[in-house]
Amino acid sequence: MEVKIERGNAEVTAFLIGRLDTPASLEVAPKINSLADDAGGTVVLDCKELDYISSSGLRLFLTVRKAAAAKGGRVIVRGMNPDIRNVFMMTGFLNLFEIQ
Amino acid sequence: MKELKLDAHCEAILQEYRDNLPAFKERAAAIHKLLKETLDGAGLLVAAIESRVKTASSLRGKLALKGGKYASLKDITDVIGLRVITFYTDDVDKVASAVERLFAVDWENSVDKRKLLQIDSFGYQSLHYICSQEDFPYRFEIQMRTVLQHAWANMNHDTGYKSGVEVPREYLRNMNRLAGMLELADEQFSRIRADITDYRRRVQALVASGNLGEVPLDGDSFRSFLDLEPFDKLNRRIASVNQAEIQEVSLLPYLAVFKALGCRTLGDVQAMIKEYGEAAFQLACYQIGLTDLDIISSSLAPQDICIAAILKRGGGAEGIRLMFDQISGTSEANGMLAEMIVEQAKDLPFMNQK
Repeated sequence: MEVKIERGNAEVTAFLIGRLDTPASLEVAPKINSLADDAGGTVVLDCKELDYISSSGLRLFLTVRKAAAAKGGRVIVRGMNPDIRNVFMMTGFLNLFEIQ
Repeated sequence: MKELKLDAHCEAILQEYRDNLPAFKERAAAIHKLLKETLDGAGLLVAAIESRVKTASSLRGKLALKGGKYASLKDITDVIGLRVITFYTDDVDKVASAVERLFAVDWENSVDKRKLLQIDSFGYQSLHYICSQEDFPYRFEIQMRTVLQHAWANMNHDTGYKSGVEVPREYLRNMNRLAGMLELADEQFSRIRADITDYRRRVQALVASGNLGEVPLDGDSFRSFLDLEPFDKLNRRIASVNQAEIQEVSLLPYLAVFKALGCRTLGDVQAMIKEYGEAAFQLACYQIGLTDLDIISSSLAPQDICIAAILKRGGGAEGIRLMFDQISGTSEANGMLAEMIVEQAKDLPFMNQK
């Protein structure tokens, strides 16, 4: 699992690559949690190359959402494949994020 | 501009002002802060609080005009002036009551200009209190008015009674017509606010008494309804399948979905929960039962109730797609998701019951 963070002028994008299962979530948590510093603006969680997400992964997404809510920012989840979107739907997470 | 000449008595008053200017500035800031904290604490939202200390040139002008009537600087009550500008007329009285609690009010010199106007005249409306504090020897003035009264006063001030220039009668008449209109507008704003507050109270009472069928479905009523936690039972039931944690989120986005599904009252929403709750549970069980997902959001219950209603009413994949478009934004992927749900649901018991 890899997380690449690119900070642009208008938004910060985290590219999530691979499988965000429980061990991977533990591994990338510091990087994802660091997005809280940017949560006053727009944070994009780019899932184009995300193959799988577990409950632990969903919790990481929630951390970013909570930070954004506290700071008045927005979180965009971009490029989910059908399986990831299905997980979001099954758990009622679909309307928690701005989805593109 | 040539400086106005003052006699020795007035010069002495002006000198006393100069000697005390830092104390005036400090006191004005302290009163401003105290007022702001008090109004904030009371949850009273005002448009602005302004404060100022009279300038030396303004005081000189005042003394040149009517210096003889002041024995000392203590007789000039507006060296420190504050203004509280409210949104609603009712709030002027609430601010006044807060001011009365905070400071000693010199009633003899305070003026309620709202009461001074004759029945056939319109114009400057404001409440002026002359106040004092025990630990400060000078009095100060607090003006309280609405934003509309403030706007009118400012416009009138520019070309009106203080300008020293005689203005045509027609202009004055137009200003008075405007004052009358603003007074009516102020009254209407207050009435609308009172009506909305009254409506909210009635809705809350109806929701609390369980008369949901009488409550029209709107933002206010839906919020009150959600306070009753109408989806909690179903969410807990779904969560128990995987011993999942429930993440509480706002369910307000579902107001639009329930409306789109034909709900006109809270009773209609309640009826949908009752009618489709079991079907929603079957769908959720099928979807997460074979996964190890142990977190759900509290929006899962309303989501699955709406999906079940759409499916049972023959809305099919298109209906579900529209629902997802409504709650998470339009996307082609919502169409695929909707197709998948229709496929998942077709063998579930609720889809095969009449």
